[in-house]
Amino acid sequence: MSVDVGSAGGATAKAKSVLTWEKQEHLVKLAILILAAVLSFATRLFSVLRFESVIHEFDPYFNYRTTRFLAEQGFYKFHNWFDDRAWYPLGRIIGGTIYPGLMVTSAALYRIMWLLNITVDIRNVCVFLAPFFSSLTTLVTYALTKEIHSTGAGLVAAALISIVPGYISRSVAGSYDNEGIAIFCMLFTYYLWIKAVKSGTIFWSAMSALAYFYMVSSWGGYVFLINLIPLHVLALMFTGRFSHRIYIAYSTLYCVGTILSMQISFVGFQPIQSSEHMLALGVFGLCQIHAFVDYLRSRMPKEHFDVLFKTLVSSVLTVVLLLGTVLTITGKVSPWTGRFYSLLDPSYAKNHIPIIASVSEHQPTSWSSFYFDLQILVFLFPAGLYFCFSKLTDANIFIILYGVTSIYFAGVMVRLMLVLAPVMCVLSGIAISHLLAKYIKSVDAVAPKPTESKRQHKKLELQSGGVKSEVAIGFVTTITLMLVVYTFHCTWVTSEAYSSPSIVLSARSHDGGRIIFDDFREAYYWLQMNTPEDARIMSWWDYGYQITAMANRTILVDNNTWNNTHISRVGQAMASSEEKAYEIMRELDVDYVLVIFGGLTGYSSDDINKFLWMVRIGGSTDRGAHIKEKDYYAANGEFRVDKEGSPTLLNCLMYKMCYYRFGQMYTEGGKAPGYDRVRAAEIGNKDFELDVLEEAYTTEHWLVRIYKVKDLPNRGG
Amino acid sequence: MNWNCLYLAIISCLLLLNSVKAEIINKNVERYLDLSSQLVKTTIKINAEDSAGVPIKEYVFTAKEANIAYISAKDALNNDLKLRKEQSNDDQRFVLTFEKALPKQTIQIETVSVGNVKPYPEEIKQNEKQLVKYAGLLYLYSKYKTVTQKTQIKLSSSNIISYTQVKPFSVSSNKIILGPYENIKALSDEQLAIHYENQTPFLTVNSLERTIEVSHWGNIAVKESIEMIHSGAKLKGSFSRYDFQKDGRQSGQSAVKSYRTYLPASATGVYYRDMNGNISTSNMNVQRDFIDLELRPRFPLFGGWKTQYILGYNVPSYEYLFSAGKNYQLKMRLIDHVHDNMAIDKAVINVILPEGSSNIELMTPYSIKRRQNEFIYTYLDTTGRPMISFSRSNLVENHISDFTLKYTFSRVSLLQEPFLLIGFIYFIFILTIIFLRLDFSIVSYHHNKSE
Repeated sequence: MSVDVGSAGGATAKAKSVLTWEKQEHLVKLAILILAAVLSFATRLFSVLRFESVIHEFDPYFNYRTTRFLAEQGFYKFHNWFDDRAWYPLGRIIGGTIYPGLMVTSAALYRIMWLLNITVDIRNVCVFLAPFFSSLTTLVTYALTKEIHSTGAGLVAAALISIVPGYISRSVAGSYDNEGIAIFCMLFTYYLWIKAVKSGTIFWSAMSALAYFYMVSSWGGYVFLINLIPLHVLALMFTGRFSHRIYIAYSTLYCVGTILSMQISFVGFQPIQSSEHMLALGVFGLCQIHAFVDYLRSRMPKEHFDVLFKTLVSSVLTVVLLLGTVLTITGKVSPWTGRFYSLLDPSYAKNHIPIIASVSEHQPTSWSSFYFDLQILVFLFPAGLYFCFSKLTDANIFIILYGVTSIYFAGVMVRLMLVLAPVMCVLSGIAISHLLAKYIKSVDAVAPKPTESKRQHKKLELQSGGVKSEVAIGFVTTITLMLVVYTFHCTWVTSEAYSSPSIVLSARSHDGGRIIFDDFREAYYWLQMNTPEDARIMSWWDYGYQITAMANRTILVDNNTWNNTHISRVGQAMASSEEKAYEIMRELDVDYVLVIFGGLTGYSSDDINKFLWMVRIGGSTDRGAHIKEKDYYAANGEFRVDKEGSPTLLNCLMYKMCYYRFGQMYTEGGKAPGYDRVRAAEIGNKDFELDVLEEAYTTEHWLVRIYKVKDLPNRGG
Repeated sequence: MNWNCLYLAIISCLLLLNSVKAEIINKNVERYLDLSSQLVKTTIKINAEDSAGVPIKEYVFTAKEANIAYISAKDALNNDLKLRKEQSNDDQRFVLTFEKALPKQTIQIETVSVGNVKPYPEEIKQNEKQLVKYAGLLYLYSKYKTVTQKTQIKLSSSNIISYTQVKPFSVSSNKIILGPYENIKALSDEQLAIHYENQTPFLTVNSLERTIEVSHWGNIAVKESIEMIHSGAKLKGSFSRYDFQKDGRQSGQSAVKSYRTYLPASATGVYYRDMNGNISTSNMNVQRDFIDLELRPRFPLFGGWKTQYILGYNVPSYEYLFSAGKNYQLKMRLIDHVHDNMAIDKAVINVILPEGSSNIELMTPYSIKRRQNEFIYTYLDTTGRPMISFSRSNLVENHISDFTLKYTFSRVSLLQEPFLLIGFIYFIFILTIIFLRLDFSIVSYHHNKSE
């Protein structure tokens, strides 16, 4: 893809006699776009080819389960669905607590295909939805960049986005998550917004409101969008570019978009109540005032106007401030939520809300991961910004704002790299196209006319940007080389880092063969087949979605971490001694307990490594006040599982469940039995029996261990 | 009570003797009981003769055993005999008809019954051995008198806890020989009980749905979805992976870690999956005339544990589909091998024929229950593919045999689907051309062609 622009001229030289210049251009354009779209689909299939068509990770399993429900039961059942399988004994109202866009999209695709007698499995629809939508994203990126800059930039941006790892990380086949379609929705809304701003027609702004509605229905990240667009309008106002076009575009988008977005029951009245949406409302009001002021100015002498303007501004500001304070105090405008604070202040969450900080994707981004996910785009991004600044237009201002804000947010949270990746591609596309367009002229111009006079030559040089052909060739080669390297880097990253389903693990054996650890599905399937239909399973919340989807059993807490106290209660059970834990488990009606243990295989993201989070979250509520993090550290302040470890740790439920009978197991040559390969230590508490639990099942590689909670002993027994 | 019956019987016998003076007696009976698996396989050799020398045309075989899945009878020349089933109150009667009526007849009867070897105790711990109990009859249950009879029993191991001891008998290793016993009265039902160790897999297929999809482009796709349970002694208490891994012989002997399924030699594209995706633990060995598939369930099956899976493969149609003009004949196995000594509770067989097949006629090797025919709509279908569906319960390995399905299908309709596709694409091109070339707008714009 990297040589698209360079080769565009040469490739069609042969066809010149048949097609006109316009048609050739059209053909090349189409070919590049189709290639980019196909490539973006194909490059996301690594995991399907290597493993199978399977859903990845954790959240996608919930989406898959709900999609299956929607496809089977219809929309109304889905909308009214009360899920008693999750959050026992609370349950969850699915219809009112999710963004249904993803499920509706795939269920609709599924229904349409079945209508045409294309009898595909709903799972395959889910698996291939994200790659399909990334193909569409490629096309939309082209359209967006074309609106902002030029066709050439659009093609480069499309080619770049088709393989950018920052976006691939969330949209490989099987990664069936909201982000998979949300990025498409977001860019599509931006494209229509730019169209609306440029044309100033109600049609385009209404279209962008519809796209915005789709975006709202599919991802919570729509908040970024509804803050960015007002910011754009605000910036246009300050730069004196406010016009009727923008007035029409924004007023229409805000009114229609807000009303539509309130139709999503999870969003509800938030657009007019929560502080995250206030910028949009404020700018909407400002728009009206600005337009009114403009009207007055055109009708009044200047002196009168100035007096009026000053009083108006000061009085309006006072009223707004007063109103804002009153509403915040009375609680009508909801206080800023934790996630939003952590966006503004990276250390906020870590200090205040352990449940948010415990999620790895909410961690701040490291510098290396910028390079890892974006490669040369990181360096081309400023260049693209420069070119945008050098020729400011209404649309350019938008993309500058998008770039600057998103790079800030991506720095705060790893997961928002996803929002940054498209604008990186757009700006880099602009930079590359701009530079290549400048230099490629010199490469071409000199070659066919070697025997021109010096004056003519100079004139030509001036025409083509005043660059010598050697320099031009050198430059074009460098850019081409960079793009080639970019292609290889992206493919490598996709293949190595982002294409493992995480539900099936694979490792290399000594003789080079592949070993597959399929323990998760083994355990979940065991649960489904061999436990009572209504069994309640306690596990750490990470595995909640997978258990409900694959084992079809009731769980206490899951990845929708809405109830902190409930999760905390589970954390307390895990961190307590057996007797204390038994009380909690009886209270919660637990039948089975499931833990993930990597000590035998060396799987490092297991429950012992997550254990400190359980302690922190468990101790964060009143009922868990007796659980203190420092009790679980060894005397020297380290977290150790060997003999030196703290006795509280060595006797807590989690420790016992993970290491039950592990003390007899030989794991590595030359090491004592009970050698934990993750912690690289021989465990400290080896010979113990479980009093209130019994081992119900342990998978082949000991990755998942399931325990049954014993009944109360018979009286007198 | 009994004495009354006997008394009545004697009187009726005497009456019969007076009138006919001829009756069938079992001169010599040899029974072979194979109890080495979860099934009871019985082979009975009967030398019957008529006491008065009257040629025997019909012989009634009575079975008291429950759950007889399979029965067959042969005469002295190894020809199959006709069997007619008569249901009486508490036992089943099979009337055998001989081709030639002779005063002396030799019969060989084979039966396979399910569920008569029961785990006892019903629950065992992980490291305990599975013991089972067989409850049957000491003598051949027959409406005729038996002169001499002998029973040989083959068990799965020499570890015999107890068995009914009626002299004469002998035991050697895993074999018990009972008899010879002489002059056994008709319809005598003395009990025989054997309690012994049996570690062979007790697997029951609760339901099997076999779907055969015929394509005239040269492929037949077979898909079997199977629900299976370990019907042996249930696991009591906890499961310990450590013990199971440390000592596979001591711990969990009766657990099923894997089993073998045999597929046709020409099978390709074999898949083994369940609702959570591919089951990555299986091995395929291609033999000369079959494919040996070693299937490992996701987890070892202990007593009472269930599993479900789907197994599918493709076979080329030339081996199974025969044609003469418009008439086609599909000849395939009704059920196929699942595991050795299998017992299937219920099997449903669906055969999906190509779109446009008609005059469908089904012939099966044994009686089945027909279900409603349906139409299946899948890729590029318009009128739907006819699906013939039938079911049968209680099947064992002896039931693996071919069914024949005759139907007519015109070769021209084979081209329907490609033409449909071509037509569709053609239509799209036409539409595109029309929309690009013609102007549908209501307002007319002024095109400035200054360039």
